Amino acid sequence: MAARLMSRVVRLKGQRSCKYAQRFLSSTKSEDAEITKVSLTQKLPGLPTPQYATASVHAYDTHVTTLDNGLRIASENKFGQFCTVGVLLESGSRFEAVYPSGIVHFVEKMSFGTTPSWSTKDQILQELEKVGGICDCQGSRDTLVYAASARSNGLDVVMNILSDVVLRPLYPDEQMEDARQAIKFEIEAMHMDPNPEHLLVEMIHAAAYRGNSLGLPRICPEENIPSITRPTLYSYMKGRHHPKNTVIAGVGIEHEKLIELTQKYFVTDKTPVWLAEGETWGQQEIEPRCVSQYTGGILQVEKDLSNVSLGPTPMPELAHVVFGLESCSHKDPDFIAFCVLNMMLGGGGSFSAGGPGKGMYTRLYLNVLNRYVWIESATAYNHAYDDSGLFCIHASAHPSKLRELVEVILREIVFTSSMVYQDELSRAKRQLQSMLMMNLEVRPVVFEDIGRQVLAGSARRTPQFYYDQIGNITERDIQRVASRMLKSKLSVAAYGSLSGLPAYEDMEAAILSKDGRMPSKQSFSLFRR
Amino acid sequence: MAASLLKVTISATRILNSTQRVPYVASLYNRRWKSAKALTYEQAVLNMPETKVTRLSNGVRVATEDSGIITSTVGLWIDAGSRYENAKNNGVAHFLEHMAFKGTKKRSQTDLELEIENMGGHLNAYTSREQTVYYAKCFAKDLPKAVEILADITQNSLLGDQEIERERGVILREMQEIETNLQEVVFDHLHAIAYQGTTLGQTILGPTENIKSITRNDLVEYINSHYKGPRIVLAAAGGVNHNELCSLAERHFGKMTAGYDGEIPILPQARFTGSELRIRDDLMPLAHVAIAVEGCGWQNPDNLALMVANTLIGSWDRSHGGGTNLPSQLAQHTVKLNLAHSFQSFNTCYSDTGLWGIYFVADRMMIDDFIYNVQHEWMRLCGGVREAEVERAKNLLMTNMLLQLDGSTPICEDIGRQMLCYDRRIPIDEMEIRLNAITADTLKEVCTKYIYDKCPAVVGIGPIEALTDYNRLRAGMYWLRT
Repeated sequence: MAARLMSRVVRLKGQRSCKYAQRFLSSTKSEDAEITKVSLTQKLPGLPTPQYATASVHAYDTHVTTLDNGLRIASENKFGQFCTVGVLLESGSRFEAVYPSGIVHFVEKMSFGTTPSWSTKDQILQELEKVGGICDCQGSRDTLVYAASARSNGLDVVMNILSDVVLRPLYPDEQMEDARQAIKFEIEAMHMDPNPEHLLVEMIHAAAYRGNSLGLPRICPEENIPSITRPTLYSYMKGRHHPKNTVIAGVGIEHEKLIELTQKYFVTDKTPVWLAEGETWGQQEIEPRCVSQYTGGILQVEKDLSNVSLGPTPMPELAHVVFGLESCSHKDPDFIAFCVLNMMLGGGGSFSAGGPGKGMYTRLYLNVLNRYVWIESATAYNHAYDDSGLFCIHASAHPSKLRELVEVILREIVFTSSMVYQDELSRAKRQLQSMLMMNLEVRPVVFEDIGRQVLAGSARRTPQFYYDQIGNITERDIQRVASRMLKSKLSVAAYGSLSGLPAYEDMEAAILSKDGRMPSKQSFSLFRR
Repeated sequence: MAASLLKVTISATRILNSTQRVPYVASLYNRRWKSAKALTYEQAVLNMPETKVTRLSNGVRVATEDSGIITSTVGLWIDAGSRYENAKNNGVAHFLEHMAFKGTKKRSQTDLELEIENMGGHLNAYTSREQTVYYAKCFAKDLPKAVEILADITQNSLLGDQEIERERGVILREMQEIETNLQEVVFDHLHAIAYQGTTLGQTILGPTENIKSITRNDLVEYINSHYKGPRIVLAAAGGVNHNELCSLAERHFGKMTAGYDGEIPILPQARFTGSELRIRDDLMPLAHVAIAVEGCGWQNPDNLALMVANTLIGSWDRSHGGGTNLPSQLAQHTVKLNLAHSFQSFNTCYSDTGLWGIYFVADRMMIDDFIYNVQHEWMRLCGGVREAEVERAKNLLMTNMLLQLDGSTPICEDIGRQMLCYDRRIPIDEMEIRLNAITADTLKEVCTKYIYDKCPAVVGIGPIEALTDYNRLRAGMYWLRT
C-alpha cells in the first residue's frame, strides 16, 4: 500500500518520497509533547509558512444534468477546501393529504438513522467525521433536504451515506419509538416557548389553505404520533420519493464527479428499500401533485399567556395576531416585487438587538412600532411556494390593545397599494440585494439555492440575475402586486387572550375599504341610514 | 496514529488521481512531514486566502483575508471590556457601545442610520468582558464608507447629554430582556461568584445604579484610557484589498494616539474562587445549573486540550432525539435515564483565566443523578479516557472550527478575536498539527491539572432543593481509587 501511495506522490512532486517514508517512523510522543507546550501566540518552531491560494474572482457556472430515470444533478464549483452536497426531494407536509399528517416530520426526525450499511446514526457520524463532515436534514412544507458538508476529498463517502439514508432507511422499532418521544418533546417545548413564532406560522397556513396542501400541519399532530408506523412511511415514500421529484445538488464539486457518483450510488448500486424485489427506482407511478387552494379565513386559539416566563422575571402578556393575503408563487413574474414589498414593510420587535441595517426605516418601524409604543412587535413575511404564496404580517401587543393593534396593522396593509415613495423603494431594493448577496456568502445557502431552483423545474438563475431584477422594480410594480394581493380573501390567525379581537367580517371589510378602517358599530344598525 | 494518517492519505490520493486538478492539491493541507529527529515540516498548501497583517505607526493592526466576493465585513476589535472597569464605573464600556450609534460631530443619529440602511449595510456592536467590537457588513465597493463610519462613531461620538439620558432607559430595558434569558442569568452569576472580588466578576451591563448614574465624563475618560492604537485591530474579510484597507486605516485611524499621558491602565488580576450560589424558586418548571472549574487563558497551550475535552463531553437537547446512539457518552446516559432536558459543555476563555464546565436544564428530581453522571465523565477525562474517543473529539473540533469559517462575518470575527488574543492568526495547518499532537495522555494530564480535585463554582436557579450539596459535589471531584 505504502509503495503505491508513494509512487503517486512522486508523480506529483519530485523528491517528496523519502520524507514521506520517514514520517511513518517518526511520530514520537516526545515531539507531540513538545508541541502541546508551545504558547498559542508562538508559531510552532520549524513550521514553514503555508502556501496560500488567491481567491479566484470569476463566477462558477452551475451545471445541470438529468439522468434517464429523471433524477436531476446540479452543481457548481467553488473556491475553498470544503464541499456541501445533498439531496432535495419534493416532499413535505403539503403532500400528506391522503396520509396521516406528520409523516415527513417523522422522516426528518429519523434521518441519518439505521440503514443496511450502517446500523446506527453514530456509525454514520463517525464515517462522516473521518472526512471532516457534518450532516443535517430539514423538512419544510414542500421540500425535504438531506445535506452534508465535508472536505472535498470526502465526496465519495458522503455520497455513499446520502444514498443510503435517502433510499434505504430501515426505521427499526426502537428508532420509531425514539422519534415519537423526540416529537412529543418538540411539541412540548414549542408550547412552552414564550415566542410562539412556529405555532403562528402553522396557524396562518392552516387558515389560508384550509384543509388542503400548504395548510396541512408540518408539525406532527399529537394524536397522530402513536399511529404513524413504518409501513405508512414507506407507502408515502413510494408515491412521493420518485427520482423525478429528486435533485442531487452540490457546491464545491466537479460536476462530472458528482454525476459519476450519483449514477453509482443512487442508480446502479442501490434500490430504495420501499420497493419490492426486482423493481427499479423510477418505474413506479408518481403520485399526482396536489394543487394548493387558497381559502382565507380565520383560526383562533384562545390561550392564557399571562405567565409565559420560564424564570423568576415576569414577561409581559401578549396577544398575537397574523394577517395573511395570497401573494404569488416563486415562479410568478411578480415574485421579486413581492419580495421588495416585504422588505419595504420590514419591521421587527419594538425592542430588538441590532444596529442600523436591521430595517429601522421600514414602514412597520416608522408607521407602526415608532408611533405606537404599546405594540410589541410587527414583522412582514412572504412565504413563497411552487404554486402559491402567502404574504403575512405578524404583530403582538397586550390583549387589552388587541382591537387597536388590528386597526393599525390593517390600515398599513391597505396602504401598501397607495403611495410608494422613491426613497423607501430604493432603500428596500438595496437591502434586498445586499441580503441576497450576504446570504449567498455561505456555502450551505448556495447549495440550497441551487437545489431548490432546480427542483422547482427552472434552470438555475444566478444571483446576478436576481440582483438585476430587484434593481428593475418600480413604484408601479409595488402598487400592482399590492392591489393584487388585496383582492384575495383575508386570512387571520390569532393566539392568546382574544376577547378583544374584532369580528372577522369587520376585518375583511377593512381590507376591502379604501382607508383600511373597520366599519364602526353603528353602521350595522338596521334602522340608521 | 500512523494508521489514521494513512487513511487520510488514501482518500486524499484518490481525489488527486481522479481529477488531477490543481485546486484539489489543497486538500493535502492536513499533511505534515517530519524528519526523524528535529521538528521540521513540509510546507502546507492551503486552498484559502492568506491573512495579511500590517501594523500602522500608531500601533493599530490591520488584518484581512480577501476572498474576492462582492460583499464584505469590516470591524474594529478593541482590547477593552467590562473587566477594565471598577465598581463605580462598571457598565461604561457597554454604555459607550450604545452611544456610538447616537450621532457624531459630522452626522446626526438619523443621518448615520439612513446612510447605513440606504447602502444595504449593517452596523452592529457588542461588548464582552474583555473586548469591544464594532463592525459593519456592506458591499465591497462601499468598504471605504464603512471604514469611515466606523472611525467616525468610535472617535467623534457626540455623547450628547440628552442622548445619554434616553439611553439609560434603553439599557435598563435591555437588562430586563437579559433577565428573561436564564442561561445568561446563570452565567452572570457564575462569573460573579467564580471571580468574586475581582473585576471579571462584574456584569457587562453594570448594576442598575451605575446605568442610572454614568456621566458623559465617565464615557470620555473610558475612551481616552482604552481606545488606543496598540489595543485596536481593524479586521476585514470577504471582498477586501489589504493595501486599500491599510491606506483607509491610515487616513481614518492614523490620528489615534498610541501612548498614554497619565497612568497606563493594566489588566486587573482575576482570581478564581470555588463557591456556590443557589437561587431557589420552586414555581419555576425546571432547574438551570452551571458547574465550572477554572480553565486557562487564550494563549495557554493547554487550552486546546481543554477544548477537546469540552467537545468530548458535548452538548445535547432532548428534542434533537438521537436515541441512545450519540457521540457523547454523557448524552447517551442522559437519554437512557432521562436525566436532563438539555446540557452544554462550555469553555469560556479570558486572557489569563477561563471557565470550563457544564450548563444544564433538568427536572427538579433529576439534578443529583445528572451531576453524578457529569462528574463520572469528568473523572474519566482525568484518568480513563480512550484514545479513540480523543481522536474523534479532535476530529469533530477541527471540523467545527473549519466549517464555522464560512461567510465573511464569521471569518472577520475569527481574525479580529485571534489578533487580540494571540497577536497573530493561527494558520489552519498549524492548528491541525497542534491538535494532532494531543493524545489521550495529554488530555489526562491537562484535565487532571484543571479538573481533578479542584473546587468548582456552582450556580443553581429554580427548583433546586435537590441540587447536590457543595461538599458532596466537591468530593465528586476526585476518586479514591487507583
